[in-house]
Amino acid sequence: MLMNFDKLGAWRWILSGICALMALFLLLPILFIVALSFGNSRWLIFPPPGWTLKWYGELFADPRWLQAAFTSAKIAAIVMVLSVAIGLLASLALVRGRFRGRAVLRGFFLTPMVLPVVIIAVALYAAFLRLGLNGTLVGFVIAHLIVALPFAIITISGALETFDPSIEDAAILCGASPWEARFRVTLPAISHGLFSAAIFSFLISWDEVVLAIFMASPTLQTLPVKVWTTLRQDLTPVIAAASTLLVLLTVVLMIAAALIRKGKSR
Amino acid sequence: MLSFLTPARRGSGLGMAMPALLLLLAFFVIPVAGLLSRSVTEPVAGLQNYETLLGSATYLRIFFNTFLVSGLVTLITALIAFPVAWALAIMPSRVAAVVFAIILLSMWTNLLARTYAWMVLLQQTGLVNRILMATGIIDQPVQLTNNLVGVTIGMVYIMLPFMILPLYGVIKKIDPAILQAAALCGATKGQALRRVLLPLATPGIASGALMVFVMSLGYFVTPSLLGGTANMMVAELIVQQVQSLLNWGMGGAAAFILLVVTLALYALQLRLFEGRAR
Repeated sequence: MLMNFDKLGAWRWILSGICALMALFLLLPILFIVALSFGNSRWLIFPPPGWTLKWYGELFADPRWLQAAFTSAKIAAIVMVLSVAIGLLASLALVRGRFRGRAVLRGFFLTPMVLPVVIIAVALYAAFLRLGLNGTLVGFVIAHLIVALPFAIITISGALETFDPSIEDAAILCGASPWEARFRVTLPAISHGLFSAAIFSFLISWDEVVLAIFMASPTLQTLPVKVWTTLRQDLTPVIAAASTLLVLLTVVLMIAAALIRKGKSR
Repeated sequence: MLSFLTPARRGSGLGMAMPALLLLLAFFVIPVAGLLSRSVTEPVAGLQNYETLLGSATYLRIFFNTFLVSGLVTLITALIAFPVAWALAIMPSRVAAVVFAIILLSMWTNLLARTYAWMVLLQQTGLVNRILMATGIIDQPVQLTNNLVGVTIGMVYIMLPFMILPLYGVIKKIDPAILQAAALCGATKGQALRRVLLPLATPGIASGALMVFVMSLGYFVTPSLLGGTANMMVAELIVQQVQSLLNWGMGGAAAFILLVVTLALYALQLRLFEGRAR
């Protein structure tokens, strides 16, 4: 009876009520930022006395915001490609490999996800100070790749596990070389996993704050670093405008991910 | 079935793991080991950094804050997540899909954007204070940011999805027949909840709670934006020691303590989880 919605009686309204309140709690702050970004109150009064596009104007008039967004996109794109490529190879080794200690290796590959990012950030910062990689694109890419890779490995190896390797064997038996079989049979079969891994890796890099604060220099910074430094000075509505654009991007990527899932189930 | 063909043709596959392995060795294992080793070598060799950290009231206060906030966040998210996950598991699937979309949207919205929203909502003249005053709960604005109250609210907001999703997975798998059996045997709803549903959901609550607790322990962004410098948590201490004070020994020592606690709790989780799987 407790697992049947229709037989819960009065309890069902309590449960639905809690669920609705929680959904509002999660949703309202996001809608709140979107509303503020169009409000004309410099002091973020809500509801705003009037509406304006002035904050978006300020955002686009400042070349540093655009430059930061461009840097973020560039880093996230490189991280996405490398994370999927390295993650695919690692997943093939973990799922198909025949060597000892695969479980240990899998655990090791996932540790960057488990450790607090702040420890990785400080440790890499120290190492990069010695290597001269602080404030460089390479430094950003390496740092973001370390935290994106576990997610790519989880997603891709999950897809690989559901794919029957004997289909690849059949292709080899029909005359394909092992690499040909891999590229033309296995890769298309796990493409949804690769796309999801790509989206995850891009978003992780794009949103990364803690690592980016440590990798950034006055001349090279990503969008989250720009938001962070601005936030520490004051709560300007320009940040609401920037945040709204970020929310928009999230929605677009979520819809893309949902479409990929739908395509897979067909 | 043709696998007798494959080892010779494909090798062991270890080579394919090499790029990831080398990347993590060079830019994860060695740097982290380097940082931790500085805790016992700087400024001079010895354990004096740990003595300072664990011997002074200021630093112990930071560890206390960290555990207090993480514990509160875990408790509050668990209390909210249980009824929500339960409702999601039995609701009509169309309604549940809408709630899931909201959970995922919130989870994937930029962390700084979400924290910014709470900084604005919780400030002295913010919406939360104005609503509390309009409804007569308080007479004058209360301080909700730059203290641990703000940090706790902001962190609950961020951690909720990480509690709801695993809990939902566990509750969804519970066989409704078990609860029907409880009803047939004469259990009231309250008894069925306390003695059947809650015990069956406990593994989900435990694994979600451990995850949220561990993630909260090492959190940096939300505590530093909503908590202010007077109410530091351990991640902020590490950053402050390294970035502002250039005291790598102390930063490394604080990082080592955080690392040990984190890994110990994860080991506990793996043990609990595997113990059940067997």
